[in-house]
Formats: sequence, structure tokens, C-alpha cells
Amino acid sequence: MSDEKLLVEVCVGTTCFVLGAAALQSLEDFLPDSIKDKVDVVGSPCLGSCRNRNEGSAPFVRLGGEQIICNATIQNVIEAIRVKLEKMDA
Amino acid sequence: MPNDDIFVEIECFQQTKTGESACGDDFKSVRIEAEDRSLSVLSDGLGSGIKATILATMTTTMALEFFRRNMDIVQSSETIMDCLPVCEVRRISYATFTVADISASNRVRMIEMDNPRFIHLRNGKDIEWPERSFASANWPDRHLHVSEFRAAVGDRIIFCSDGVTQAGLGGKSTKFGWRREGLLEFVQGKIAKNPEMSARELAQMVVYHARMKNPDSRCVDDTSCAVIYFRRPRKLRLLTGPPFRQEHDREFAEQVINFNGHTIVSGGTTANIVSRELHKKISCDLKKFTPGAPPIFHMDGIDLVTEGILTLTGEARALEFGLPDSAPPAIKCMYNMFMDSDVIEMIVGTKVNEAHQDPSLPVDLEIRRNIVKHLAKILEEKYRKRVIVKYF
Repeated sequence: MSDEKLLVEVCVGTTCFVLGAAALQSLEDFLPDSIKDKVDVVGSPCLGSCRNRNEGSAPFVRLGGEQIICNATIQNVIEAIRVKLEKMDA
Repeated sequence: MPNDDIFVEIECFQQTKTGESACGDDFKSVRIEAEDRSLSVLSDGLGSGIKATILATMTTTMALEFFRRNMDIVQSSETIMDCLPVCEVRRISYATFTVADISASNRVRMIEMDNPRFIHLRNGKDIEWPERSFASANWPDRHLHVSEFRAAVGDRIIFCSDGVTQAGLGGKSTKFGWRREGLLEFVQGKIAKNPEMSARELAQMVVYHARMKNPDSRCVDDTSCAVIYFRRPRKLRLLTGPPFRQEHDREFAEQVINFNGHTIVSGGTTANIVSRELHKKISCDLKKFTPGAPPIFHMDGIDLVTEGILTLTGEARALEFGLPDSAPPAIKCMYNMFMDSDVIEMIVGTKVNEAHQDPSLPVDLEIRRNIVKHLAKILEEKYRKRVIVKYF
């Protein structure tokens, strides 16, 4: 696996914030030790997904600058990070 | 036409006599935009507590109204004195006042009755202007003093209630109180050290220092100090909301560069537009977030970058009802930037955020233009800021 960390962008735009991103801000505290060092969690002013009906509902999180997770919760984001990291390792 | 080169910062700081629930000094200030004029009044009511508050508030309210209508000075003052209720204990009706009437081109007229004489500081010196005195036929022992002059950039006018000049009365080094001389020396010293000191800071310093002269640092009398500072305006520009037409994004984003003052970008999409058009990277460290509040972002060359609607709504609440200690950093930071500015420009993009129209959203997301209007109104009326709103 490369040294580059997986970028996890939590949208904290207004819509995402009121629909659940307020809780996602603390995502990093809930990351299991096995993946903690492999990701870089940052906030994003707006990922722009709330304007696109096809991408599901807010809050949104983006992995690796490409994969959008809609209806994001701490649990499903951690799960998606795991899957993504396994794919990257493979 | 408002004079753009000089901003008149008017601030008053007060402390209530220890043990009283209401301040017996009252200060009021209004800006009359159409005449490019500001009118401020400080009154010290006889006694202390509620009785004094009523006397002082009646005086400031009447004085503002009479002087803004340019009524005759002596007649207005007589009316005020005639109207005040008579104190049952002392059998007199009494409240002092100082009126500072500042009109276009910084022409100043000071009208004083029984407050300590005002100080006019220019280049560190107290200028004593000639004054005309008037006595009222009905109130022969009350004298009105009127001075007229023109203020220049950098000038300060300082006036106070006798709680300041009589501070420390009976003390070892201040047998007759701090007096006007002591106050003058103090403000001269402070300004020599920090020539740009704001009116807000100076007024606070005077009151705190006066208080320290008293035994146990108690307020033995209601203590107020008003400072008027003729300064070059400190400017702030706030950008919020995406422009109605996308082809204006560039021009919109450029409003934050080559600007002689502080800048705020408030809004996620807005931040993205500025970032894209000016090739500035946005970063956000989630390690320092406050629970329940949107974080602060960082962009090179911009003093503050925040989320939009929630932060602006919280800001309006803080400005209206006071800044709580627990306020999130974005709101605190914006609050301080507003306080430290004289002229605030709000550049508002008017494109509606469709995502906010979703009926499933759990909170009221106000329309941006309404919040901005509300913010502007509070900043103008409560904080006497000059606010300019431009739509994009």
C-alpha cells in the first residue's frame, strides 16, 4: 500500500450541517485504530452534491476525491472507508 | 452626502453604582443619515438607582428629540428641567446633560449643563474653545455652556459623568477626586502610547481606571465616559451567497482582493467560488470543531471564511442579545471583526440555494437577503456602524 492517505471530505455546508454533518464533524474520534492512520479527515465548505438530486440526500462525504457517500452517518462512512481501503490494498 | 474620509466613532461605557440595579446615568446616540449628523446625549440623574435612571432617561430622550428638531437651546433645556419629577427627599428635580451635536463637515456643537467640562484632544493637547453661557430666567442657578468648533481627523472628544472626575474623593492622593486634570493626564498618556486607540477601548479604560481610585475599587457613583473619535474609517467587506448570474462569479470574487480593509467570506458555495476564481486553496481542520456549530475554514488572504446561513443567523442573535461565552469561534471571530470596523460592506449574491428549499430540512433556513437586512439594521441602529449592502 502506498503512503498516501485516503482523503475523507466531510461536507459542512449549510444543508449537510443541518441534516447531520454536525455529528460527522467528530468522525475522526470514532475511527477504529486499524484505519485511523490511513485516512485524512477534513471539512469541505460545500461538495455541491445537494444540488444534484441523483446523488441522494445530505449529508454527504467524499472519499478519495471521487466517491460520494450520501445519507452519511459515522457508521456507513467507516464501512465505506474500510471497503475503499481494501480495494486500494488489493 | 456622508463624508467617506472621516468616520465618527461614538462609544460610551458605563458602570452602575455598586449595589444598585439600574444605572443612574443614561447615554443615547442617534445618527440622522439624511443630514449626515450624529447626536449624542449623556445625562446624570440626581441620586442613584431607579429614581436617577428615570431622571436621566427622561433627559436624554427629550434632549435628543428637541435638539434633532433644532429647537431653541435655552427653551429646550427649560422644558426638560420643568418636566422632570421632583425628588421627594431633596425637593428638587435635577439631571445634568452634555449634548454632542456633530453635523456635516465635522462641525461640532457641545451643549453642557453641569456635567464635567468636555475634553477636546488634538495632537495630545486639550483645546479650550471659547464658550457662550446662557442662564434661564426660570432656573437662574442652572447655566448652559455652548461651544462650537470644527473637528479634524484624529481628534477626540471625551465627556463623562462626575462619577469619573470625583473618583477617589477623599483619598490620600486624590483629596478632591481624580478631577478633570487627572482624567486629562490619563487619556493623554494612553493615547500617546496607542495613538489609534478606539473610542470603545478608551471609554472602557477611563471608567475602569476611575473605579480603581475608589476604596475597594467599588463604584461609589454611577460612572460613565463617552468618547467621540474622528478617525479614518476601518473597513470590512463581507461576501455572502453566489451571484445570480454565474458569469459574474469572477467579478464577485475579486471584491476580496485589492481591498483596503478586512474581509469575510460567509457561505460554503461562496467560498468555493472565491477559491475557484482566485485559485486559492480552502482548508478546514476538523480537529478544532465546536459541537453543534459549523467550523471556520481557511483561505490565504481572507481574514475569515465561514459557513453561511447558520453562522449569519447566529451572528445576528449575538449582536442583538449579546455574545455568549459559549459562542462558536466563527461567530466570536465575526463579532469582533464587526466591532472593530466602522464601515461594513456586505456584498450579497442573490442566487437562491435550491437545496435549502427542501421541505424535509429540520430547521428554518432563512432567506439570505432577509438575514443580511436584519444584520445591517442591528449594526446601524445598535452599533452605529455605517453599513452598505450591494447585491450581485
